[in-house]
Amino acid sequence: MRRRDFATGALAAASAAVLPRGAAQAQEKVTLSFLHKWPEPTYMAFFQKVVQEYEAAHPDISIKMDAVADDPYKAKIRVVMASGNIPDIYFSWSGEYAHQFVRAGRALDITAALQAPEWQGRWSAAMLEPFRFDGKLYGVPMNQSAAVFAYNRAIFARVGVTPPQNWSELLAVCEKLKAAGVTPIALGTQAPWTAAHYIGDLNAKLVPAATRAADYTLAAPEDKLFTDPGYTEALTRFQELLTKGYFNRSPNAMTMAMVRGSFASGREGMILTEIVTLDPMRSAKIGTDGLGMFPIPPIEDGRGDQKAVTGAPDGFLISSATQHPKQALDFLNVLTSRANGALYTKQTGRPSATIGAVTTDNASAEVLQGVALLQGASAMSLWLDTVIENRIAAVYLAGAQALMGGTATPAQVMENVRKTALEVKREGV
Amino acid sequence: MTGWRARMAPYALLAPMLALVAVFVYLPILANIRFSFYRWSSLSPTWVFVGLANYRRLFADPLFWSSLGNNAIYAVASLAVQVACGLVLAAVLESTLLPRRLSGCFRVALFIPSVLPITAIGLLWQLLYQPAFGLVNAALETVGLGQFVHAWLGEESTALLSVVAVSQWQWTGYIAVLFVVAIRGIPRELYESAEIDGAGLIRQFFSITVPSVRQTTFVLVMITIFGAVKVFDIVWIMTGGGPNNASQTLGTYMYRSAFQTDAVGYGATIAVLMFALSSVFGLLNLWLQRRGE
Amino acid sequence: MMRMAHWRRAFSPGRVVVLALLTLLTLFTLYPLVWLVLSSLKTPYEMFDSAWRLPEVWQWGNYRTAWAFGLGHYIVNSVIVTSVSVTLILLAGALTAFLLTVVPFRGKALITLFIMGGMVLPPEVSLFPLFRILNMFGLYNTYGAMIVPYVAFGLPFAVFFIGAYMAMVPHDFYEAATLDGAGLLRCFWSIYLPVSLPAVAAVGVIQGMRVWNEFQFALTFIESDSLRTLTIGISTFGDALRVDWAVLMAGLVISVAPVLAAFLATQRHFVGMAQGGVKG
Repeated sequence: MRRRDFATGALAAASAAVLPRGAAQAQEKVTLSFLHKWPEPTYMAFFQKVVQEYEAAHPDISIKMDAVADDPYKAKIRVVMASGNIPDIYFSWSGEYAHQFVRAGRALDITAALQAPEWQGRWSAAMLEPFRFDGKLYGVPMNQSAAVFAYNRAIFARVGVTPPQNWSELLAVCEKLKAAGVTPIALGTQAPWTAAHYIGDLNAKLVPAATRAADYTLAAPEDKLFTDPGYTEALTRFQELLTKGYFNRSPNAMTMAMVRGSFASGREGMILTEIVTLDPMRSAKIGTDGLGMFPIPPIEDGRGDQKAVTGAPDGFLISSATQHPKQALDFLNVLTSRANGALYTKQTGRPSATIGAVTTDNASAEVLQGVALLQGASAMSLWLDTVIENRIAAVYLAGAQALMGGTATPAQVMENVRKTALEVKREGV
Repeated sequence: MTGWRARMAPYALLAPMLALVAVFVYLPILANIRFSFYRWSSLSPTWVFVGLANYRRLFADPLFWSSLGNNAIYAVASLAVQVACGLVLAAVLESTLLPRRLSGCFRVALFIPSVLPITAIGLLWQLLYQPAFGLVNAALETVGLGQFVHAWLGEESTALLSVVAVSQWQWTGYIAVLFVVAIRGIPRELYESAEIDGAGLIRQFFSITVPSVRQTTFVLVMITIFGAVKVFDIVWIMTGGGPNNASQTLGTYMYRSAFQTDAVGYGATIAVLMFALSSVFGLLNLWLQRRGE
Repeated sequence: MMRMAHWRRAFSPGRVVVLALLTLLTLFTLYPLVWLVLSSLKTPYEMFDSAWRLPEVWQWGNYRTAWAFGLGHYIVNSVIVTSVSVTLILLAGALTAFLLTVVPFRGKALITLFIMGGMVLPPEVSLFPLFRILNMFGLYNTYGAMIVPYVAFGLPFAVFFIGAYMAMVPHDFYEAATLDGAGLLRCFWSIYLPVSLPAVAAVGVIQGMRVWNEFQFALTFIESDSLRTLTIGISTFGDALRVDWAVLMAGLVISVAPVLAAFLATQRHFVGMAQGGVKG
């Protein structure tokens, strides 16, 4: 079956390159396989619409789409890759996650392709950066997200506080909320990646950017790997929020869903979350205007980059073994156009990465604020669990849970992280 | 049916089943054994032969040993609650203590947890165990046992046991019903004559019921142990193996290695070990079963 | 006088204690089902905020939303896969159980061990190799991709459970039948299968449940939406960040209903039949 596809694919590609458009339509059908991680009804409605429109406009191309939810996606993509049945277009988180595919030679280098005029002005440099490795571009961003603090306006007004401008102000706000009998921040770490938002951001603000980059990519020399005191300070500040009583009790026993539900019922003052979750939290209790947002406050004497924003795009990679690179790119072009980007945001509530796609027509004021934040960021600090190697991330996250459970100290956690990082570095992954 | 054909008949009839199991169950096991000798990320087309390195690393891995310990706890709890209590429950349901119809109602009710999808069970119990508004803590406080309140799934010391408890809730009724099927096969006359002899219900249980359902007991013990070695989805859904690996089991560790931390060879090594462990217990079980015959 | 004694025996302390305990146990096991249905009638935030109270407004719309997602054809797929798998498991399993428990022949122990080994590993382990094998046989992305592994993995339990039941049948049955000249298949079909119907029915319900709720294989080995089963369809009701929990609950109730109904309908038979099944 694959051999036949190869023959038709090669023929189609060759003729498409040589013959004028009309003649190419006389070719056999080209099939693109497309795997993404949004099977939910609202997302599928969008994707199916785009696919159908595309197929109608290009009768010689047929798109086979499959979608698998977030957690099972990580398993399925691996099974599929291992068997050699790589989809022509597949979803990937940016950063190290995408880098894995690139290193394994599974992703197509599209640097040259993206120079073409139809791609200009599509994305900001910040969106593309997380998909750039060794100077070459591999990914096409689909959406963008950032971690920000959402706050309950009514509670803030009642207690008499305003969104903090820096970390010490944040601590002061928390103290006031606590004194007024309100749980300051809602946190659920049963699924530990929520802690990654905090730790990743604190790392970015407390550790110099160059050191952090070297550590995350394991390029740093062995005796310096993860030794910067900023890392331990980050964990200490994170733990401090717990010991001072600013988080709800037992974050490890709470799932993010429970915590968001609780915040949306008007219980806590703040919650650190991604901008895509802001609008759904406007429940009847909190009111449509009852929610505001502010960026994670900078740390006054932090040695890192205070203007870095913890956020990331995610998007699609093209298989390096694809028989139809031109068609795949063309489809992605249509998928991420400004019009479709706007439709995507309107339909799913997730901000599209395309410039100009997110407007007041399809996004709330807070989401627009978040998008503006990303645009103005000096750099994006990607999600901690997708930016460092898997095994190290696992240890880091387990350590975060230990901190929340009071069974380890920041120094101990960093010691474990350092040990694992050394192991991984020595294996030469 | 004469000699040769009669003798070949069982083998011929068994052949398709054996072939099915061989191809779809054993080939993957063999493949796993092979994988365990390589270091391999599923994304990369290249495998690196590392011999026994994965095994050496496994035996030196503290997380492996703690996971194994968790599985052991699982097995012991499951045997004590699901099998032992399940048998007692079945005997009670089938005894003269209860009218037929009532017994039938109870039987249906007890079986229901095993019918629910794992997603529903995970969600339900996460809420029940929730420290602030969960029913478990609320119940403890109402009964005056407030000092036993915990953040069940959130504390490293209670996380595993909390998940184990959910498993017992899920499967005990199921095992009990399976025992009921077996108990129904015991001739009534045995009980009647025992009663005439003056034996009480408890005596009848130990001298008639228990020995008669021997075969079923061995099967259920076996599947309970296998279940305890390979337990995966209930743990994954309730705690993901956390917090801080406190509830990590061999199954979740293996899944994480193969599909998250990208060490397929290492995951395969854990799988091989799970297979070896289960086989040992299975053989032991069979041997004990044979001995008694 | 007799009635008093009868009363006293009817409410003997032992009986009262047992009844009380069982009633408690029943509440403990039935409550989750009630909770599931109630949760499906709440708004998503109500589900987490007032998890134990009655819904403020009964959101029947959740079911409409869940159904509108096209659960209809998912149910059809689940029904096809489950009925075919269970039928095959029962036929093959009962036959194998018969051969291994009743019929004398060489190598039985080895074959028994072989089948037992099939119960040992969790299916997640087999994902990579099975993917390749299924591709090789051309089964990938077909009903067969689910049915064949389900039968292969479900066989061992069926064999052992039905076998244990068959072992309780006195061996004279077999000897009498073979003396009459009946072939193996006849002996199986006309004597042993009917006799072990309770165990067969029990296994049928259990495997049916397992196959209906199965997630891992149905997810990994199927690509086309037209072949998707109900369990997978429902799992797509939300991603990690934005799950519409209440609709998910409605979907779960829709998924549980057929299994529950099947169980209720058949359980009386598989337990009821056994009464006086095997005379001494």
